[in-house]
Amino acid sequence: MAITRRLFLKSGSTAAAGALLAPRLFGSSFVQDALAAIGNRYFVVIYLDGGNDGLNTVVPAGGVLRPWYESARGAGSGGLRLTAANLANTAIANDPNTGSALALHPGFRASPNGSGGAGDGGLHALYQAGKVAVVQGCGYPRYSLSHEDSRRIFQTADPSLSLYGGTGWVGRHLASAYAGQPSAIPGVVIKDAVARDFRQGATSVLAIRRLRDFSFPYDSEFDSLSEKNARNTAFNALHAQAQSGADSGFQYIGNTGATTLASTAAYPALHTLYSSNPTRNAFGKLYDNGTPPGVNRSTARDLLEVAKVINGTEQGMVNSRFFWVENGGYDTHSDQGAGASDGQQFGLHSELGASLKVFYDDLASMGVADRVCIMVYSEFSRRVEQNDTGTDHGSQGPMFLIGGKVAGGVYGNHPRIDPAQLDGEGNTRYRQNGSNNGFESTDFRDVYGTILNKWMAVNPTTVLTADTGDPTRNWTVPNFNMPLFVP
Amino acid sequence: MGDENSTLSEAEARHLLRRTGFDVSAKTIEKWVASGQTRGGAAAELLKFKPQGFKPNGKTFEDIHDKWVKFMLKTKAALQEKLVLFWHDHFATGISKVADAPLMTKQNALLRRFCKGDFKQLVKEINRDPATMQYLDTVRNTKDGLNENYGREVQELFTLGVKDSNGNDNYLQEDIVQIARAFTGWRYDDKNESYLSNSRHDVGGAPKVIYKSTGQFGLSGINYAAGGEGEGEIDAVTDIIFQHRDSDGRNTVARRTVRRLIEFFGTPNAPQDVVDDCVGTGPDAFDTTWSIEGVLRRIFTHDDFYLGAGAPGVTTHKSIAWPADYVLTTLRTLKVKPKGKDLIIAGGTYNAIRDHLVDMGQTLFDPPSVFGWDWESNWISSATLLARYGFVRDLTSARDGGGTSFRPEKLIDLTLTDANDIVDAVLVVCGVHASFTNVEKTVLADYLTDGAGPINLTDADYRNRKLNGLFALVLESPAFQLV
Repeated sequence: MAITRRLFLKSGSTAAAGALLAPRLFGSSFVQDALAAIGNRYFVVIYLDGGNDGLNTVVPAGGVLRPWYESARGAGSGGLRLTAANLANTAIANDPNTGSALALHPGFRASPNGSGGAGDGGLHALYQAGKVAVVQGCGYPRYSLSHEDSRRIFQTADPSLSLYGGTGWVGRHLASAYAGQPSAIPGVVIKDAVARDFRQGATSVLAIRRLRDFSFPYDSEFDSLSEKNARNTAFNALHAQAQSGADSGFQYIGNTGATTLASTAAYPALHTLYSSNPTRNAFGKLYDNGTPPGVNRSTARDLLEVAKVINGTEQGMVNSRFFWVENGGYDTHSDQGAGASDGQQFGLHSELGASLKVFYDDLASMGVADRVCIMVYSEFSRRVEQNDTGTDHGSQGPMFLIGGKVAGGVYGNHPRIDPAQLDGEGNTRYRQNGSNNGFESTDFRDVYGTILNKWMAVNPTTVLTADTGDPTRNWTVPNFNMPLFVP
Repeated sequence: MGDENSTLSEAEARHLLRRTGFDVSAKTIEKWVASGQTRGGAAAELLKFKPQGFKPNGKTFEDIHDKWVKFMLKTKAALQEKLVLFWHDHFATGISKVADAPLMTKQNALLRRFCKGDFKQLVKEINRDPATMQYLDTVRNTKDGLNENYGREVQELFTLGVKDSNGNDNYLQEDIVQIARAFTGWRYDDKNESYLSNSRHDVGGAPKVIYKSTGQFGLSGINYAAGGEGEGEIDAVTDIIFQHRDSDGRNTVARRTVRRLIEFFGTPNAPQDVVDDCVGTGPDAFDTTWSIEGVLRRIFTHDDFYLGAGAPGVTTHKSIAWPADYVLTTLRTLKVKPKGKDLIIAGGTYNAIRDHLVDMGQTLFDPPSVFGWDWESNWISSATLLARYGFVRDLTSARDGGGTSFRPEKLIDLTLTDANDIVDAVLVVCGVHASFTNVEKTVLADYLTDGAGPINLTDADYRNRKLNGLFALVLESPAFQLV
């Protein structure tokens, strides 16, 4: 309840509170206003829920890192070691610091149909095409091993958990970039609830599971236009009243309810728009078929909804440019699995990689791949040394950036997994500023800041408060300049 | 300053009944106000229920889910079910990982048995509850492969929290590891009874010392195995956790648990002194007795609790109804009885109550993670509001299901012809008359004539359209989402 909720439609709300709301939201003047914020680009966040094991995501395949890796990850039953054979087809560039050979987890080369065409080849195929930036060792000082705290830290971009009143970093950007446009709906979260990354009070963020079902449930026996209008008028008036009530929950429901009713007038049509186009519809089928058999398809299906909204925005029907999707199940304390394709983490990575490949190919076919940036993160990585059959919570891990204008390659340094250099808890140390023998870590806020700076083309300090006096915020503004995008 | 001897106003009586139950009994309010019932007297009346031994038995998730909902639809001790919901969130355990309905049933019965009982004993029971052991990997925690999951969550979520009320760390990673050692080897047998497998238990290793670095027990910490290694360690660890103190000397577990109970029943973000009032002092204090009932009595007699009694346009202390609360309150208020084993709303779209709850973001027996559900405004999004509206649509359009259909004519006098009178009657039935302003009532009255001819509730077509539509608007309204 800490979020300050600015009133939706605070000024001039009486005029907007009736049936006039929908045209106002989706009219052309609004579309033009919003173009100033991120230009005609898009930003997609994919959150890996539970703490993805980074060491088995960007894996030491050789060099000085490999023996350390082998000492931490066993080869026997329940062992999590990925062998040379497992890693033979997923090589990426060497670690910039040690020069050790690196490879992605073999799940990232999911080849469900072996065609080599759209959707095939997973994340590694995108890497080979130069579209994936692997940013190693992303974390923050004095890391937390609590899922909830570390997730909040990544979502708010605040390791002290004391700034920003609980708002998300993307949310703060939306609030700033869309200031004065309280009816703008720049963000869509494919989930039941608004993800914290996007939370703030100034603009509306939709939570949608499936566009097709995103319709207002009227009584089908009495759904004449006049009855619908009468219902909508009363509904909107009650929600406008709530927006000016005293209680913050009351205001929030008033705001969300009014946005929801208005959006149900526009969003379901995006599904039809997409599937009535034969090219799009053919891709639509790939989101299911492009996932290896036996692998969960929910993330692919979620990304399909994002593709539909992007398609709709391209056609001028809505104007959403920020999206959030999650891929869950990474809290692999047990039965994590190694190189066998029926393992837990293998399945997750296959799902993620194959989904991303289909999504990217769809975007490329729409002609927007160069205008989309996808960011993948998890709240933390996992312990270097495995437990019985899984891994416990750990410190920094890799992030991915994917997109047509992403400068593919490996950035940042592999965490220092030398057993003699781990901290007292068996985790890699988060260190910066030349204090780690070349194994300097990457502050996750440098990635965010670079995205704000170079992708959204805004001053990052509107979202991230720099404070060099605070050791938990030891990054500086010039760091928001990682070479993660091609001009 | 009010106390347990303060008499309840009508608004306060309604607030207390709504927060501690589902539908509100007008008769009870009338009786309490007429007799000058006090806060303390009302609290005693609400808390006198004997914990019922109900078990939602079944083989599948659907079985146990629907049995619990069915029980909640009928129970006369609604406060007990609200407490079970609270503890289900607090000790969040999900069938999607446990994958065993009887284990979830067993845990649900445990929560019901202890719902207002001894909190310390409840944690000790949870420590060896098979569903919990499965969900938080205790069964995979052995001397050869230490699994920290439970050692962390028992501190972070069940008892201490990460930081105390002054922002200091309550425990460090080393404490998680040491506490995980106490839980090595705990498993359960084919009768779902827990036991310690000695061969998997960590014995004879380094001393089992915790809290060396938090200053709680001096620089040398405290050895929880001082009384001997083996079965007794997990109770010994729990006893130590329950002695933990904030940097200002107050009991950490007591403060955190009471704060959560206040957030659930009363107001979010209660000031620390309110929390400390409800922890209590002397021989009755929570950190002495660990009596949940004692805390509830203090909450229900505290001024802070009654801050939320006003209308949502005026007070700033409302709380957003949990989906389960919203569904049960609506069904009980409108006297709609879902049909059959799957609890279908017959006569309309024939959707199951279970599916509605899933869509609203609260799948009973399957919280999203060990953190339970996110409360308050996190319940609300376009997706979950549409799910609430969909439930309302199903209810108010259910006309063809025989005795289980929605029958507004049984709730409202059909001879009423004045729009304002009809609106008043519907708001009274829904228990939110005091929550609506005159402007909002006018909006509803206008709806009755908008696009329709003269008001005539005896005309089936008018009634089915407008009276059902009016109920839908009220049930969808922001005020009705609040408690």
